[in-house]
Amino acid sequence: MKKINICINTQTPLVKFNITNSDLEKTNEGMPPLNLNNAREGKDYHFTPGGVTRMIYPLLKMMLNRGLAENVHWVSLNPHGPEESTIDGINLSHISMAPDRIKGYGFTKEVIWSTIHGLPNSASDPSDIFWQDEYSDFTYYNRLSTERMLKLDKNFDFDLFYIHDFQQLPIGHMLNTLKPKIFRWHIPFDESTIPLEWKEFLSIYLNSYDRIVVSCKKYLKALKSFGYTGKSCLVYPYIDPAMYSKPTPSEAIEFCTEFGISNKDKVVLVVARLDPMKGQDRAIKAIAKAIKDVPNIKLVLAGNGSFSSSKQGVNLSKAEKWLSELKNLAECLGIRDHVIFTGHLTQSQLNAAYQRSDVVVLPSIREGFGLVVIEGWLFKKPVIVTSKAGISELIKENHIGAIYKPDDIEALSDKIIRLLLDKKYAKSLGERGNSISKKCYLDRGINDELEIINELM
Amino acid sequence: MIIEFNLELFYPVIAFIVVIFATWFIAHFLGHILERLLKHNSILMGLQIKRLVWIFIWIIGLLFAVEQLGLRIDLLLLLVGLLGIALIIANKETFQNFASKYFCDEYMPFRAGDSIKVREHSGRVIEINPMSTIILTDKEELISIPNSFFMKEVITNTTPQAWKELTIPLIIGNEIDLAEFESEVLKSCNKYKQHFDERFPPLLSVKNRDQKSTELELTLMIKDPNMKEILVSNINRRISEIIGKLKEKKK
Repeated sequence: MKKINICINTQTPLVKFNITNSDLEKTNEGMPPLNLNNAREGKDYHFTPGGVTRMIYPLLKMMLNRGLAENVHWVSLNPHGPEESTIDGINLSHISMAPDRIKGYGFTKEVIWSTIHGLPNSASDPSDIFWQDEYSDFTYYNRLSTERMLKLDKNFDFDLFYIHDFQQLPIGHMLNTLKPKIFRWHIPFDESTIPLEWKEFLSIYLNSYDRIVVSCKKYLKALKSFGYTGKSCLVYPYIDPAMYSKPTPSEAIEFCTEFGISNKDKVVLVVARLDPMKGQDRAIKAIAKAIKDVPNIKLVLAGNGSFSSSKQGVNLSKAEKWLSELKNLAECLGIRDHVIFTGHLTQSQLNAAYQRSDVVVLPSIREGFGLVVIEGWLFKKPVIVTSKAGISELIKENHIGAIYKPDDIEALSDKIIRLLLDKKYAKSLGERGNSISKKCYLDRGINDELEIINELM
Repeated sequence: MIIEFNLELFYPVIAFIVVIFATWFIAHFLGHILERLLKHNSILMGLQIKRLVWIFIWIIGLLFAVEQLGLRIDLLLLLVGLLGIALIIANKETFQNFASKYFCDEYMPFRAGDSIKVREHSGRVIEINPMSTIILTDKEELISIPNSFFMKEVITNTTPQAWKELTIPLIIGNEIDLAEFESEVLKSCNKYKQHFDERFPPLLSVKNRDQKSTELELTLMIKDPNMKEILVSNINRRISEIIGKLKEKKK
């Protein structure tokens, strides 16, 4: 099989940089592009959390290792990064914009994102967003990315363009090429939340792709009824199980000591970025109710802001506001001592958190899929998931996991209590979940992705 | 005396050679220019146009060269003229189609992708080439309609909301930052928002690109067909201003 040249495009970059460009140049001895394999992970740069690092990066690495790909280029937004760098044979190309452009882009993307998620947002009339001046900044970013991709294409003659997530949707139309274009839709796709006024316009963009990949079955149907005439495919999001090794006893102790978790505590774990859509407030309210039955309960909220929230990224500062609201809520409910905010966790800390937890909860109001549930299953933990998360279609109630409606705090509380008190029930759910989790392993995901790629080539 | 005689004899021969050489050069040079101009058209059509131009230049060149030798070319000219008229009469339809293509591009209310109806034929336009317009019928038949036909017949564009579509072709030099240009154009269109169908925000598409320039198309949907002309004129004016501003900024 011929090795392919592939161009990936995401908003979130693989890495965020902790040092300035001039310091990076010194690290690289002034020889662009910067090779991150020579820089210090954690000090000079760190991997961005979320799907980008957990899915796309392993996919590309495996494609290179298996000799399936030759030239791999990854174009993403990274206002404070060098224009080019490399890591593990992957060429990272970073787009930079002036702060006012980033602000306009961030505003537009946030309105689109929250509207699609069915959440309230800062726009007076979300259906009007494409006629706002800020939308021109959103287009500006997409056009810059497109131009960069076309420039790279001239040199590397790509076989395929793979565009990820809604922020990049216009790129399919902007990429004036007959080469195959795949789009991965990561967030929920529910026709009922999308304003009618957007339908015709979004259809133009969607139909500029040869394939659209979604994360669950119901999105396939929704896409078709929305007006996408091409072929859509289902590929469950995937993770590399090798990353989730059992923590060593010292790592486990260190984690518990750092966050004040005792042996007697019953730990409910929520792993999510700090964002109102992730529903951490509902988990806090449910814990406040459950505390009467399980006094030694501890809610561990792991995660901080996303790339969009960070100062190195789009600087939306959503995470800080949300963290403060959550702390106030826990205070008001009188359970501040029972809620632990860990912030960002390293992989070994995350593994320790999963290992120590008794229940993993995904309280999102809406969720494209919910890979953290798979992570919980890798540690054989029972999971409670909202019915609005894509992954709920893999869950058979009371057999593989527990499902509840996002607003039903009473139900969430009851399910937490049952799983914490009924060890046998909890164990059986965790074990069955563990066997289901194989559907979302990296190997399987890659095979599915390659099938789509091969079909197009 | 001998030298003078030789010069008189050789002068016409040298002139003949110079004219032949100049003809070769002009034919070659024009061939190059045509090649560049026609690179986006069909290869066959490009070759035919090049060949016609080549023949024309060589006929003129040869006539002029023969005249340098002191020979009378009246009869030759008459023959060439007659041949030209014969060619025009023989290819009348072809020339009509070529001319019609120009008028179709400018004034006909349809473009590739639209559904149209002409006499008993109806289908989706899949190609408009210099000779004919190809439509694909519902039965998946291809129908080729000579372009000249559209100048004489009533055409119905059955594309839903076709009257709403406003397409403005644009060309910008590659020295202009496309992302910035697009951003400014969108902002300008927002000023006229009340006249557009809000479900279709302005859409800028790249149609073609070469080393020097980029061909674009701005698509908008209007609310009132009576506003079409004035909107086109206003948007074109604003776009000219944007181009001027961005060129100035570049300097």
